[in-house]
Amino acid sequence: MWKKEGLVLHEKDNVGIALNDLTAGNEILIDEGQTIDLLEDIPYGFKFALCPIGKDEIIIKYGETIGRAIEAIKPGSLVHVHNIEGLRARRD
Amino acid sequence: MFLGYKRPDGKTGIRNYVLVLPVQRMVNSVAMQVSSMVRGAKTIVSTGEIGRSSKDRRTIARTLTGLALNGNVGGVLIIGDDHYSSKELKHEEMAEIVRSTGKPVEVLDITESGGYYNAIGIGAKMAQRLALQISEFRREQCDLKDLTLGVKCGTSDPTSGVAGNPVVGKAFDVLVNAGGTAFFSETTEVIGAEDKLAKRCINEQVKEKLLNAVSEIEEKARATGEDIRNINPIPENVKAGISTLEEKSLGAITKSGSMPITDVLTYGERPPGNGLYFIDGWMSSLSLPLGMAAAGANLFMYQLGGQGMPAVSPPMPAYSAGIVTPMMYLSGNPRTCQKAGDFVDFCSGKIMEGKSSIEEMADKLLECVLGLASGTMTKTETVNIQDPVEFYLEDPCF
Repeated sequence: MWKKEGLVLHEKDNVGIALNDLTAGNEILIDEGQTIDLLEDIPYGFKFALCPIGKDEIIIKYGETIGRAIEAIKPGSLVHVHNIEGLRARRD
Repeated sequence: MFLGYKRPDGKTGIRNYVLVLPVQRMVNSVAMQVSSMVRGAKTIVSTGEIGRSSKDRRTIARTLTGLALNGNVGGVLIIGDDHYSSKELKHEEMAEIVRSTGKPVEVLDITESGGYYNAIGIGAKMAQRLALQISEFRREQCDLKDLTLGVKCGTSDPTSGVAGNPVVGKAFDVLVNAGGTAFFSETTEVIGAEDKLAKRCINEQVKEKLLNAVSEIEEKARATGEDIRNINPIPENVKAGISTLEEKSLGAITKSGSMPITDVLTYGERPPGNGLYFIDGWMSSLSLPLGMAAAGANLFMYQLGGQGMPAVSPPMPAYSAGIVTPMMYLSGNPRTCQKAGDFVDFCSGKIMEGKSSIEEMADKLLECVLGLASGTMTKTETVNIQDPVEFYLEDPCF
């Protein structure tokens, strides 16, 4: 049996988090019967995309908005400051 | 449930300290000398009131008074000098407030005592008297309702919002449900999660206070001319995988549990009764423990993420910033528990490994807390060091 290596915190979420240091090219188990192919290395605790996310689309974790995509993100890619940004307390 | 000290005003202590309290900055040096001469004495070295607005001087006064009223303090030596006192920081008035709780109080005026060296001698004798007097306090059986806990999360990482913080939140639920008192704070880390907290406020007035505190801090962030994305999340957070302030906030608020929020307190303000309180304050590890100690916290819980910390026994962000309120460290990150084992008192890392639940870990945490409340030392308490402290002062200085 596979060990769960990714965690999805809420059904609305479009990102999951890595429960280990994960390597690109691997198919990992995120829930019973649900797997995802990783396109990039995902360090422990970091986020990866669960589905295709378009530019300007909202990023959802804990079932809530945590920011938006600044570029299109493919499923299995790393989701972090290089491709998403926060929306609050900004100057613009 | 635990063994604590019952004070004349009904407050409970988990430690039994003499507090040597310098009321104006100019008398710090005398307080430092005196406290070093008496075992079990604590003091605070403040950066002072000079050039500060009246509002900020009141914050200092409220914080100092609150420390003296904390249940962990058995007796207080108040040090001041009329030559330095401002209308907000009068040592005689502060002494009156503390005396009215029935706590033993001594007052040392430097000039009246014959100046620096004479005052140190007289002060040391006063502190010795207090130490002997409060050593007669005995630990007695206390309940959860007598306990006041404060929490801060620090060096947050993705485990904070999934394991470490929810465990504290669940423990808070048990504490508050049993009639105890719990504090959480860090207004900046509510930005992006305020709607979830607002729903839990006991009435419209409290809800408004909370939302105002959050929008004020967001406005202040903008007014600095800096973009908050360059300040918070802090570099350790980003290094650990937290991408935005909203993400950090949503993880951070889980440490407050799910009970109703009774009120929003200003920094250093003491709550009118028991329950769960939000303190409008700043995340600083040198400021928040002090503010919570002044509000009456018996024990300060420092909930670490820690993924972004150095890999080998890292120095901790603070050891004794609560002055009279001991600090325990806990983490939900198994890697942090291992590398920072010199100072982490409680580990809920099994949750991330899928080997335990939040409920199970919360029960274990409370068990650990009750041990600490009964006299077991926290790991940072063994470190013989006094942190510098920062009051939460909001106005510019001139």
